[in-house]
Amino acid sequence: MLDGLAHMLVTLGDGGALSSGIARAAAGADLIKLVPAITLGATAMCGVFAAMKVKSKLPAWFSVASLAACFGVVLAVFLGHDGTPRVAHAFDWINFSWTISENRASVTHDLVSNFAFYVDSLTLLWMLFVTGLAALIALYASEYMSHDVGAGYCRFFAAFNLFVFSMSCLVMGDNLLLTFLGWEGVGLCSYLLIGYYYTKDSAVAAGKKAFIMNRIGDLGFVLGLMSTYVAFGTLEYDRLFDLIGRGVDGAGQPITGTWVVQVIPFLFAIGAFGKSAQIFFYVWLPDAMEGPTPVSALIHAATMVTAGVFLIARLYPLFAADDAKLALSFVAWSGALTALWAATIEMAIFDIKRVMGYSTISQLGFMFAGLGLLTPTGAAYHTFTHAFFKATLFLGVGAVMHGFGGQLDLRRLSGVAWMRGFGLVGVAMLIGSINLSGVPGTAGFFSKDMILAQGFTTPGTTIWGAQAVGWILLVTAGMTAYYTFRTYFRVYVGPKEFTPGEDAHAHDDHHGHGHKEDFDPTTAEFDPHPPGAPMKVAIGLGMALTLLAAIPYFMGGHAARGEHAAPGGWVGGMVAHSSAAYNTPHEGFSFLGLTSHAAMYFISAGVGAVGLLIAAYLHGPKGWQGLWIGNRTEAATSRADALVPLLGRVVTFARNKWYVDEIYDFLIVKPLWVLSHVLYFIDQWVVDGLVNLFGAAPGMTGKAIRPTQNGELHGYAAWMAGGLAVVLLVVILVAT
Amino acid sequence: MLLAALILIPLLFGVLIAFAPDGRARTLAGLGTTLPLLLGAYVATTFDWTTGERMQLGPMEPAAWMKPLGITLSLGVDSVALLLVLLTLLLGPICVAASATAITTRVRTYYAWLLVLQAAMTGVFCARDLIVFYICFEFTLIPMFVLISLWGSTNRKKAAIKFFLFTFTGSVIALAGLVYVAWYATTTSGGKFAGWTFDIGVLESAARTMSAKQQAFVLLALMAGFAVKVPLFPVHTWLPLAHTEAPTAGSVILAGVLLKLGTYALYRFVLPFVPLAVVEYAPLIALLSIVGILYGGLVCWVQTDVKKLVAYSSVAHLGFCILGMFALNNTGLTGSILYMINHGLSTGALFLLIGMVYERHHTRSMKELGGLAKRMPVWATFMVFFVMASVGLPGLNGFVSEFLCLLGAFQASSAWGSGVWHSLGVQKGATPGDLGPWFAAVAGTGMIVAAMYLLIMVGRVVWGKLVLPHGHGADNHGHGHDVPAADSHATESTGGLPPDLTKREILTLLPLAALCLALGLYPKPVLMALQGPVSRTVSMYDEMLRNPRPGPAVEKSAAAERGAP
Amino acid sequence: MIGLTSLAQAAYPEPMAGATLAHYLAVSAIMFVLGLIGFLTRRNLIIMFLCTELMFQAAGIALVAFGRYHLNFHGQTFVVFILTVAAAEAAMALALIVLLFRRKESLDARSWEDLKG
Repeated sequence: MLDGLAHMLVTLGDGGALSSGIARAAAGADLIKLVPAITLGATAMCGVFAAMKVKSKLPAWFSVASLAACFGVVLAVFLGHDGTPRVAHAFDWINFSWTISENRASVTHDLVSNFAFYVDSLTLLWMLFVTGLAALIALYASEYMSHDVGAGYCRFFAAFNLFVFSMSCLVMGDNLLLTFLGWEGVGLCSYLLIGYYYTKDSAVAAGKKAFIMNRIGDLGFVLGLMSTYVAFGTLEYDRLFDLIGRGVDGAGQPITGTWVVQVIPFLFAIGAFGKSAQIFFYVWLPDAMEGPTPVSALIHAATMVTAGVFLIARLYPLFAADDAKLALSFVAWSGALTALWAATIEMAIFDIKRVMGYSTISQLGFMFAGLGLLTPTGAAYHTFTHAFFKATLFLGVGAVMHGFGGQLDLRRLSGVAWMRGFGLVGVAMLIGSINLSGVPGTAGFFSKDMILAQGFTTPGTTIWGAQAVGWILLVTAGMTAYYTFRTYFRVYVGPKEFTPGEDAHAHDDHHGHGHKEDFDPTTAEFDPHPPGAPMKVAIGLGMALTLLAAIPYFMGGHAARGEHAAPGGWVGGMVAHSSAAYNTPHEGFSFLGLTSHAAMYFISAGVGAVGLLIAAYLHGPKGWQGLWIGNRTEAATSRADALVPLLGRVVTFARNKWYVDEIYDFLIVKPLWVLSHVLYFIDQWVVDGLVNLFGAAPGMTGKAIRPTQNGELHGYAAWMAGGLAVVLLVVILVAT
Repeated sequence: MLLAALILIPLLFGVLIAFAPDGRARTLAGLGTTLPLLLGAYVATTFDWTTGERMQLGPMEPAAWMKPLGITLSLGVDSVALLLVLLTLLLGPICVAASATAITTRVRTYYAWLLVLQAAMTGVFCARDLIVFYICFEFTLIPMFVLISLWGSTNRKKAAIKFFLFTFTGSVIALAGLVYVAWYATTTSGGKFAGWTFDIGVLESAARTMSAKQQAFVLLALMAGFAVKVPLFPVHTWLPLAHTEAPTAGSVILAGVLLKLGTYALYRFVLPFVPLAVVEYAPLIALLSIVGILYGGLVCWVQTDVKKLVAYSSVAHLGFCILGMFALNNTGLTGSILYMINHGLSTGALFLLIGMVYERHHTRSMKELGGLAKRMPVWATFMVFFVMASVGLPGLNGFVSEFLCLLGAFQASSAWGSGVWHSLGVQKGATPGDLGPWFAAVAGTGMIVAAMYLLIMVGRVVWGKLVLPHGHGADNHGHGHDVPAADSHATESTGGLPPDLTKREILTLLPLAALCLALGLYPKPVLMALQGPVSRTVSMYDEMLRNPRPGPAVEKSAAAERGAP
Repeated sequence: MIGLTSLAQAAYPEPMAGATLAHYLAVSAIMFVLGLIGFLTRRNLIIMFLCTELMFQAAGIALVAFGRYHLNFHGQTFVVFILTVAAAEAAMALALIVLLFRRKESLDARSWEDLKG
């Protein structure tokens, strides 16, 4: 069946005219069309499974196989890729042309956005980890979701495959509109998967919130897209990049200093912020943790939320075309502030899954700051490493949830790593944590370093307040180490102690094996349920990939522009051959005779170590697991509790996410809601009231003169006589 | 002759059903709608889509009807009209199928009127003669009036009367405008009275010679009639009532085709007849449509009646349609026409879905319904699908048209390249006009509002804990329990229907779903087919806006033109 | 036409020798007003009916007078019709009154106010 689909796509591609200036894609790049085809086919198959009422794990295995096949396809294309962007045309989508006579000359305009895929190294970089992780997490989910085998299982994997389809459209789209299709598509899948446990109101509300918040950002995207079309007359990347490369708009006029470079990037940035949960928009992502953990791992940590980073990287030429770099400064500052903001919340809350959620927001802030600080390579590399370590962390958290009846409170879990069957989870969490907090030698360390150092390298004259951004990020890096290890020291090491969660009524609403709803956590014997083989394999592979993600940093990058070899090793080389290529400013800073990057190795390591040690001191257990400086002896309390009264209400505020949800509710939702009621009232009583008044007018007139029709014969006669008199009077008056 | 057959077949079957035994009515109705659909498919193959702007398939010699008055029975379709005819024909069998179990009283009368209605609607789109058009246009009111007032729900009498009087009042004024155009055409051709003609093509070229002031009055008269039908804010209030009270098939036809009569008439009469006035008042009409988008959307938010919510959403959706139309450029007008079809498909399907729940639980209130995904998974799947089509999710049909309408409005500004949008010259993708990015940006917030109210509706009705009216079959055992499919309790409370959709119902929805997907993923053939008629209309406007004639009507755009270096 | 008119006039006495048009109209007006007053003040259906007849005849006198004044038969023609109609009407009306009387045993117009509908 897949062969047939592929064949169909290839034939369609041959039939359609390729309007771009790029040569016909080589067969290798054409292969990439299989990815959307396979994933869409898998979605349909999951639908068929649901219709056939399949009550086995068939959908999962089918999905794992098809996603692995996708990864294979991407890998094959990657290996055959020579660095030149290619376009693989599948079929025409919104594609039409018209002729208008302008000043007596016929001019043909067109609006072309096809199902065509733009394959450059940025695309491939993203696709590699998207499909790879998707296959891995599908494997994990096959066990994690096993409580729901049947219709729910089919639904889950259908949405899962649809997500990968949408993501591949987003990443591989050859025009802004197809990117937008993927953009909204991942939003839909996110909505469906967050609300997977649809009988739970909080999950439904979270899904809705995610979709609507995303839509607000999407408006920015759409406006940016339409502006792009107005300015350049095209939505296709190759035509667009060609024009921007020449510094002209569609009519051949230079774009420097015009609204084209000053306004459009801001609009796209708003879109990116929505999807990547940046400043103003971040509130949906923590709530999205209502979804099943595999979903959180794939969509809300590794892939979908990095779509904003991808969008800006994809449109980097447009962002960079502005000499004043206004939009990029905006992006840098937003990223840095988001990173800091989210970190403050993470340090206060107790829900380990939400800690991961906020941590994702914070790390996305780093990526945005990287983009803003003119190092798309750093941003891309951090996205890459973050995808692996954050997915691993989520998979670990998921294993804990799965095992302890949905318990997520770090005050109720301790020493998990020492419990039977959870050893691997403990190791995975440690590896994830050292990456997240940037312990030297890890992938996370190198990728974060590239961004941090850039803050002190990029001149403040180019990016407004680059140094300040650097300092904010540095502080945040320290906070990151603290909150990461706060969780680690509390949950995974220390005395073995736990309170099982409320199971069916907890976060994930998932039923552990063998104990259904009648399970009462307070009375029943609770046996932690260690992860099974598929979950272990996925966690193990995720862990391994996280460790391996450091290697690309040392792989030789190709010399891209100028004489410098692209920094960032392999990823740098990938970025340098893509639309995101940018001649990142190099040395502008030296510290003790070291270049900024080299200096930052030591500085960030130091900052990270401080954060880690504070975490160990405040939360670490007694003995070596707390690095001999902790003194925690039970799950619920630690030294940090003593700090809470000192900080006073700050902690309360941070725990309540600085009341941003409440503020939004008060400032936007409530007024709109009231306005809606007022409008409905107006609609019923004013707009429709006027209509009814108009309709009632004849009736009312009738009613007004009805009393004259009293049935009294003499009354009528008197009226007639009176009428006659009036007529006579008029006649006499007129006649004389 | 083919077009005449498309009108006559349902008409004949309608008459036949009126005299047939009750038991045969449904079969005959099915036949009377399926035959035209098959014939329509054949018509679509004989139609020359590459010259879509040409009126085709009409008889060579129009049959004179009332000769002294110049009224002829002439039919013909361009690609716009044919697409709408096909939509009408498609909805025919679907409406008959949707009424199978819902209509149990006066079955013959019901199907007879349904078929007559279809004939009238087809006639509107096929007419090339003004009077034929108008007769069909008005005649649709009678069957619809009967359908609402006899088979509607509690408040049906009021709804039917309001629907009839409101739209009738409007279209009488429109008739005055149209007759004025015809009178103008007869008195000005060659300087002496040349006999009446109501041929739309002839009137079109004559009408354009009217002065700006005359055009403004004609525009006002035509808008009075057609804007009510669309419906444009603030003359929309008949719609929620009529939609809510109408039987399911009535709502489907109302949303699917009857509203399109208004937009089609705008496309067929307003745009070609009174260009000067259109150019002058386009921003105003666009403004009204934007108000409709936001106002309709926000009002949707506070509805508790699902059907009313979808009805108000039509006000918002049609706002996009009108906005795109009055952008007066190719993208906008193409999007607008596509919107007519897409709205018919997705909103029609939503009404079908609501009708299916209503048949089972006899309520449309969101307070009494909830969590139906548990009980009706197939229904829920379709619901989410069509809601997404309605929200404008890319990949489904709604997006293509909504995007094109917005883009059209966005481009249509003569101010591009000057002022705030400073650049060295006119932008490549800009078209002359008086709308522009602000219009599109404000209308674009309608996308957010649409997501809000539709997802809130889905959140209450589809997701959440199972809630059914009067506690029938309510899931009180805590979540995690599937309600057994053959729950005796359930069959009792669902009026003899199974909890989830029957095969018939699924088959009713499938063609619509397939078309939503097809038009979302491969709209190209339709887009290309529309370019002929759209370019024909737009090129006139483009020329006018670029080289404005002196006169008060176009002074404003002339000033804008001068502003652009 | 002229010939016909002169022929008709030839057989008549001198036009308007003693009484002028004004006299006839005065009589007509007085009769009409008497009828009107009667109609408005009396409650008995038969009396009221007779009053309408009085007004009818007042109109008839005026018509005949005008016909004579203008030397044509239009007025008289009208009157012939009026008389015919009045006769038919009288038959109808009296029959109705009889029926009404049978219903309520009264000829008072006020007892039929509920016919206002």
